[in-house]
Amino acid sequence: MALHRISLTLNGELEQVDVPSNWTLLQMLRQTLAVTGTKNGCSSGECGACTVLLNGEPVNSCMVLAVECDGAEVVTVEGLADDGRLAPVQQAIMEAGGVQCGFCTPGVLISAHALLERNPSPTEGEIKDALVGNLCRCTGYFRIIEAVKAAAAIKV
Amino acid sequence: MSIDAHPALPEFDYLKPKTLEEASQFLAEHPGEARPLLGGTDTFVRMRDGLWKDKYLVDVKGLEGMSAISFKLKEGLTIGAAVSMNRVAADANVRKHYPLLVEAIETVASYQLRTRATIVGNICNASPAGDTIGACLLYDGVLNVHGMDGLRREPLASFFQGPGATVLNPGDIVTSIEFPIPPKGTVGKYIKFGRNNRGDLAIVGVTVAGHPDKDKASGYRIRLALASVAPTPLVVDEVENTLSQESITDERLTQAAQAAMEAAKPIDDTRGSARYRKMMARNLSQRALQAVWEQLGK
Amino acid sequence: MAVTDKKKTPDLIGESAPRVDVLEKVTGEALYTDDLQFGNALLHGRIKRSPHPHALIKKIDTSKAEALPGVKVVVTGQDFPGMVGLYLKDRHIFARERVRFVGEPVAGVAATTEEIAEKALDLIEVEYELLEPVFDPEFGASPEAPLIHPDLGDYQVPNFIFPKPGTNIANHFKIRKGDVEAAWEQCAAVVESKFHIPQIQHVPIEPHVAVAQADSDGQITLWASSQSPFAQRNIIADVLGISQSKIRVIAPYVGGGFGCKAGVTMEALPVALALKAKGRPVKVLLTREEEFYTNFVRQGLVIKLKIGCDKDGNLLAMENTMYWDGGASTEYGVNITRAGGYSSTGPYDVPNVKTDSLCIYTNHPIGGAYRGFGMPELHTALEQTMDMLCDEIGMDKVEFRKLNCVRGGDILATGMKMHPVGLSECIEKVAEAIEWDKEEKPSAPNKKRGKGIALMWKAPAMPPNPGSSALVEFNEDGTIMVGVGGQEIGQGTFTVMAQMAAATLGIPYEWVKVKGPLDTQYSPYEWQTVASRLTWSMGNAVVAAAADARKQVLDLVSDAWDEDPDDLDIVNGVVVSYKSEQEMPLKDIVIYGIPNENFEGWKGGPIIGRGNFMPTYVTGLDSETGQGERAVVHFTTGAQAFDIEIDMDTGKIEVLKAAAAFDVGKAINPELVLSQLEGGLVQGMSSAIFEKIDLKEGVMQNPSFVDYRIATTADIPLEFEGIIVEEPQDDGPWGARGVGEHPMVPSAAAIGNAIYNAVGVRLEGPPFSAERIYLAMLDAGIVE
Repeated sequence: MALHRISLTLNGELEQVDVPSNWTLLQMLRQTLAVTGTKNGCSSGECGACTVLLNGEPVNSCMVLAVECDGAEVVTVEGLADDGRLAPVQQAIMEAGGVQCGFCTPGVLISAHALLERNPSPTEGEIKDALVGNLCRCTGYFRIIEAVKAAAAIKV
Repeated sequence: MSIDAHPALPEFDYLKPKTLEEASQFLAEHPGEARPLLGGTDTFVRMRDGLWKDKYLVDVKGLEGMSAISFKLKEGLTIGAAVSMNRVAADANVRKHYPLLVEAIETVASYQLRTRATIVGNICNASPAGDTIGACLLYDGVLNVHGMDGLRREPLASFFQGPGATVLNPGDIVTSIEFPIPPKGTVGKYIKFGRNNRGDLAIVGVTVAGHPDKDKASGYRIRLALASVAPTPLVVDEVENTLSQESITDERLTQAAQAAMEAAKPIDDTRGSARYRKMMARNLSQRALQAVWEQLGK
Repeated sequence: MAVTDKKKTPDLIGESAPRVDVLEKVTGEALYTDDLQFGNALLHGRIKRSPHPHALIKKIDTSKAEALPGVKVVVTGQDFPGMVGLYLKDRHIFARERVRFVGEPVAGVAATTEEIAEKALDLIEVEYELLEPVFDPEFGASPEAPLIHPDLGDYQVPNFIFPKPGTNIANHFKIRKGDVEAAWEQCAAVVESKFHIPQIQHVPIEPHVAVAQADSDGQITLWASSQSPFAQRNIIADVLGISQSKIRVIAPYVGGGFGCKAGVTMEALPVALALKAKGRPVKVLLTREEEFYTNFVRQGLVIKLKIGCDKDGNLLAMENTMYWDGGASTEYGVNITRAGGYSSTGPYDVPNVKTDSLCIYTNHPIGGAYRGFGMPELHTALEQTMDMLCDEIGMDKVEFRKLNCVRGGDILATGMKMHPVGLSECIEKVAEAIEWDKEEKPSAPNKKRGKGIALMWKAPAMPPNPGSSALVEFNEDGTIMVGVGGQEIGQGTFTVMAQMAAATLGIPYEWVKVKGPLDTQYSPYEWQTVASRLTWSMGNAVVAAAADARKQVLDLVSDAWDEDPDDLDIVNGVVVSYKSEQEMPLKDIVIYGIPNENFEGWKGGPIIGRGNFMPTYVTGLDSETGQGERAVVHFTTGAQAFDIEIDMDTGKIEVLKAAAAFDVGKAINPELVLSQLEGGLVQGMSSAIFEKIDLKEGVMQNPSFVDYRIATTADIPLEFEGIIVEEPQDDGPWGARGVGEHPMVPSAAAIGNAIYNAVGVRLEGPPFSAERIYLAMLDAGIVE
């Protein structure tokens, strides 16, 4: 099985990596690049714990091959804060109490952040739709949804 | 997905040919062990389960014509095979002229999956549960296919042969799907029944499209397609017949819904029983037909 | 300024102090077990599993797997004769001689990559001789059923569990109180019911993962996503026949537990591999598919109830027979059976009780600890049957519950006297929250509307002597580090412990750091993070440790100042005397001691506060009658109500509003309490409507998120109201008792009752899926 040399920008930094054909973006992030904020919950594109931004759009990184990311821009939870300043969704989710075990949180933050980028004043229905692919077992989602509303208010 | 699932993808080689010719050639030379790769959302799941054992994944996303959406007012819409569902749903022309397609897309899985999933990929996998296939059928979609004999067109209406089976041969790559301009006054409705309120597979899906048609005795042409109740996506001709011959009344709509139920041949599986699916085929067809009828201004 | 003018340390008890663990969770810095880096030495373990529900192992040939390049270790059950079990020791690390469920570990491989290990599994050849399986617990309890554990009589078992050797009955708990047969005669109304509660799974978003490493001198280190580092150390030491001192368990953050990461589940597997790996660490990470059925699930239950009341609605008698589908191993499940038994009346005052709670082996996945520990299963049946009785006697369902609910002073089914509880208040508040008395119109002509209520109770289900301990260590600057053995699994325990330590010691909340990750080498002992016990039990230990530290400080300073310690206090990290108005900051005391006058010698030294807590009053229960002085430490009670609509065309439920009220004694951190009420209700609702491990011939048909659906953002109640009730617990810190599990318990019953109220159908058990509701309505002629 061949190795592919790819280049990508990860959280603003240029990386060059050799990856096997069959590795997912998630495996490359967690193993090769040792960026472990993004989590593996199911390897099937169902739970959303692996959500990252790929060229600005949220994807399940377990459903993208590493080799497909040649030339791409990837943003993970580690890249949301700006020089130590938390993004509005990060601040808001802490304040709203929307974090318990925290395992779904990185994926939730990416999905929520991307939502507010494309839709700065989402309705509650739009928030729920945007997060339907991020499973959480701890919170019951109420405070996550409140957090996104609060973050939207901060941004506006 | 199954108890035999492996932790990671099996070994395979990833290829990214530069031209359609190169891609078709390779696929034709490796039948049964090479597969075109679009969004991957079905492919990777089945490979991890050990169901698909391809040695080569041929990434066709970057090839000519695959990534474009183009619309011409007199001719219609062409969606490149590699265009993601999200991109399709966000396109202004699609939203204006093919809203039923947008409605169907927005019920699929999750936003993250729709960043990768493609309409054409769904069609090529020929899953009877595909949410967007009904809209594609009722909008009279035609696939542009590049194969070893060059380019050809395959109407969607005759494309599906069985679960997972289509008219495609090794070497064939669908490059785009085309839709003619819908007849004036076309309205539609997609109702999906899933276990969750959003995001699930379609346990039963009903797509209805209708438009005023003075060539029909009823004055309207209304068509209906069902998902997840037959080996292939199912356009129920009897519904069209029922609603074209005489004036449309509530009784006629109910008759049509009944016809939909009778055409449905669902199976029992862990997602739903055949009995329930038949009832939902009827009830949701009733709702969708009613909704379209109301939109038609009646 | 007089010392008494100074503001006291803001005591955050009862305040929603900000969580101590969330910043690193939102930045991605928080480390979970699979995030730990072990370098190239790390080996990857994969497990060969039984494809059969019940079979003898005739032969295992591992030679081809061993020959595969990259494979470093292959082990089977032959290598590990010891037995594992928290309560009843009934299983091996790898199957020996017999497999008892689909998914049971038969062999293990450790290799340089996960891919190679996975390939090696296919090279292991196992020959089986199929045995007749048992899939139904009622059948399993009968003499006709094949024996799944013929050696049950030889298994080690504590004295409060009663297995029946020569049968599949791993535990039989009984209550015989009063005289039910005579009582039926007095009843004006009697109802009978039978419910089936299916297996479900915890679905932590983080799958199980553990890494083990063994040195050549036999020292083992285990990193695990774990609710129970000390219990895992103990059980693994036991199965290997070594001292607990030879095992160190390190437990980083847990991405969801809900009971599935308690006891030993898969953690012994990497340990077994590591013992042969020549010092290299070995990781075993479950796939989501494996997570669903190879580890712990929640037991299934077949339950038969008969309940009677007098003409005024007073409960007179209850007969409760429970057949728990315990699965292939009941090492944990035996205690669930017991808890179900002593709780079998639900939170009601019932004078005559006959209960038989049987834990039965089947060839199904292993039933283990699941949030609620038998209570959701019990209450799903019980609370619906209470509604049936209300209909029979013609009494309002809220009024009936207010009449019969358990109160302080009542004598319970086990003979224990109930402590004060605020259950009546919980009932009133949830009824009010959903406007119980108001007849509501559905929102559309094709919908029907209904309301349902259910109560619950639960005691922490533990052995009689589960201990907590804590340490308070100072830093030079007066800040403290609190050592605990209880785990942060998302419930917020580190935060609550910090609040308690700060309040007890007299220092600002920000001065407290609770030490994590847990490490049995450095953390003080904690039985397990289960049973909703930490706030109460570990809280008491932390308070004791902080009080001990405080006492040492004040004793030292009072000696230095020649004053009475009762005149001294610690306020905002400063020792003050109310008498002489002297002050001294902690930083000048806690590490370096206090110099005598003119530096002629010193007093004191580094201060360490220590504390522990263990309940000492739990008694045994008679094996025939279930009677005893004190069955449990205490009960947390509560109520939930649901206001729902049912779509008559599809059977789909929409929850318009849900309300939950629980008596927590004292809410140390109200937002964290409400967070449990919210999350538990949604998990309960999810289990009620969507979830079922679909087993056919012992094989799970839906081991993935595609077909094991859980609640998403789109499924939650449109409105939720959480209510905290506080009737203090006598031995809880500030009166607190736990609430972690309880919010999940009554949800399925309340929804079942609401469905009946809306459309008049009652299913024989969850999931109350749209399909099952619709087909029930169709069969009843309610829809056509």
